[in-house]
Amino acid sequence: MMYKVLAKENMYSFFEILKGIGKVYGPVKVGESSYDFREVDSLSEVDLTYVRTMIPPKKFFLKPKETIFEFDEEKLEFKEPPNGEANVILGVHACDINALKILDGIYMDETPDKYYTQRRESSFIVGISCTPDEYCFCESMGTSYALDGFDLFLHEISRGYVVRIGSEKGHRIVDENKNLFEDPKTEDIEEFKQNEKKRLEAFKLKLNVSGIQDMLDISYEDPVWKETAEECFGCGTCNLVCPTCRCYDVVDYVGLNIKSGERVRRWDSCMLRKHGLVAGGLNFRPTRIERLRNRFNCKVGLTDGSLSCVGCGRCAVYCPADISFVEVMMKVRGEA
Amino acid sequence: MGENNVLSPSPARILKTENMTPIEKHIELELEDKEFAKSFVYKPGQFVEVGVMGVGEAPISICADRKREDLLELCVRKVGRVTNAIHRLNVGDILWIRGPYGNGFPMEKMEGSDLLLVAGGLGIAPLRGVLQYALNRREKYGKITIMYGIRCYTAMLWRDEFLDLFYKGDKNNVEFYLSYEDSSDKQCYELQCERSDRCIQGVVTRLFELKDVKPENTYAVICGPPIMYKFVVQELMKRKFDPKKIYMTLERRMKCGIGKCGHCIVGTGKNIKYVCKDGPVFTYWDALNTKGMI
Repeated sequence: MMYKVLAKENMYSFFEILKGIGKVYGPVKVGESSYDFREVDSLSEVDLTYVRTMIPPKKFFLKPKETIFEFDEEKLEFKEPPNGEANVILGVHACDINALKILDGIYMDETPDKYYTQRRESSFIVGISCTPDEYCFCESMGTSYALDGFDLFLHEISRGYVVRIGSEKGHRIVDENKNLFEDPKTEDIEEFKQNEKKRLEAFKLKLNVSGIQDMLDISYEDPVWKETAEECFGCGTCNLVCPTCRCYDVVDYVGLNIKSGERVRRWDSCMLRKHGLVAGGLNFRPTRIERLRNRFNCKVGLTDGSLSCVGCGRCAVYCPADISFVEVMMKVRGEA
Repeated sequence: MGENNVLSPSPARILKTENMTPIEKHIELELEDKEFAKSFVYKPGQFVEVGVMGVGEAPISICADRKREDLLELCVRKVGRVTNAIHRLNVGDILWIRGPYGNGFPMEKMEGSDLLLVAGGLGIAPLRGVLQYALNRREKYGKITIMYGIRCYTAMLWRDEFLDLFYKGDKNNVEFYLSYEDSSDKQCYELQCERSDRCIQGVVTRLFELKDVKPENTYAVICGPPIMYKFVVQELMKRKFDPKKIYMTLERRMKCGIGKCGHCIVGTGKNIKYVCKDGPVFTYWDALNTKGMI
């Protein structure tokens, strides 16, 4: 990997360069303590010290709602929506970058999803280092550091950022703007390492993941599922804010002429009753207990060898019933 | 249009339909796009997403062996929104097809062995594909035993076809057994009087009383309503079947058919499976190792 340093005073110029690639989205403060990736026009709109956004960056690739195609029954034809344009997503944390890699494993497998793949390939991801709060446990999940899955990754140091170059696209940007970037000095590297050390020490929440898949398997009938299901509202918020939840439902909308319309997909939630329901009324996950257990199992299930939970903490932060993923897992393990 | 897009369906024209029961329709389709038809190679146990524009898509298993590359046969039970819409269509109308999806039955692996097919109700549809496949390559398979459980005579699918096997199958080394649940069913009772060695009143597992099933050199293939699996498997395990030689095909909610939309997921963290992609055909061994599968 190649490393550079981007001095603080060059950050504004760097932002302008990003605007040259495509629309820039960054973490914007939208409420007292809530952040969202929004389209931004200047660096001042962005808060790169944010802890987490409510909705993860998956929204750029797997849209909350999107048209698969428009159809016309009369003419027997359908058409796909035009390709998405290039997007720059500035300030993505390591957990979210690792989450996108998990989604890649699903949406860009041997039968790749065209919409996801096109957007993923035309996106430019700039990662940023972060400081964990009391809900973060990515370190336990092995996702606190992104080894790849980004174009550039910025690690804050006192005089700016240590920049890791993660792709050819990232390299091209650095190469075409040599005046903004310099080679890291020994003290920059030393500071980068010290910052990483401090960051890892800052994690308060920990989850023991040793053999966790088996722990869940053997706990299939554990009372913890019923206990937690009694607290759970079954609202599906955890699915919406989860950076690796990717279930979708499909709906056809028909126009007033009853001949044309569109097929649309939208985010779905495994916590909702309909998720396991088949025609005829049989439900394979009939109660909240089965649905909750399924969600936890899915999150520690392996996707290409990595756990599907990246420890971002969103599900616990935004759960209206205050259910903590780590706490439930610890009960399952018999550690709480 | 729709290039490299796995979510783009291809049009198929309805050639023939037959109302086999008040709720089940046999539909023969011809794929309109001949290029697509060439790539549309399927085997028994695979399924397609069948769509009606403006209504939606439903996963339906293919119920016949591949006769011609652009032909496809389905059996559709009128049970939900999409299948009701399919039933309203007539010969000449268009259905939109994606697929074929799923792993299907390992027909090559089962070559040289005897086959025991156990079906309940609509579960006979995918097994009809297995049966046709084996009969079309008769020398490759040993004895074929079919156990078919129905509710009553009028609910029997492909009645002429199967009654023909019931009476004359033995000539072709095919033994056909029939069970019926409705004890007041006159036609079924007459069949039972005629061949009490082949027909019995009760659930499908009662047929194990008529046929002395042996595990040697035999693959069992099961399809039926979810409740049926554990009882049939129990009978097979009593007879010392190898769990890896018991195949079953499962039903789940499926929106995509390619392991993305997430609805058909089963199992625990230890062993997560997508029924659409990793299945719908699983062995009993898989079921033993994947909680919630049956």
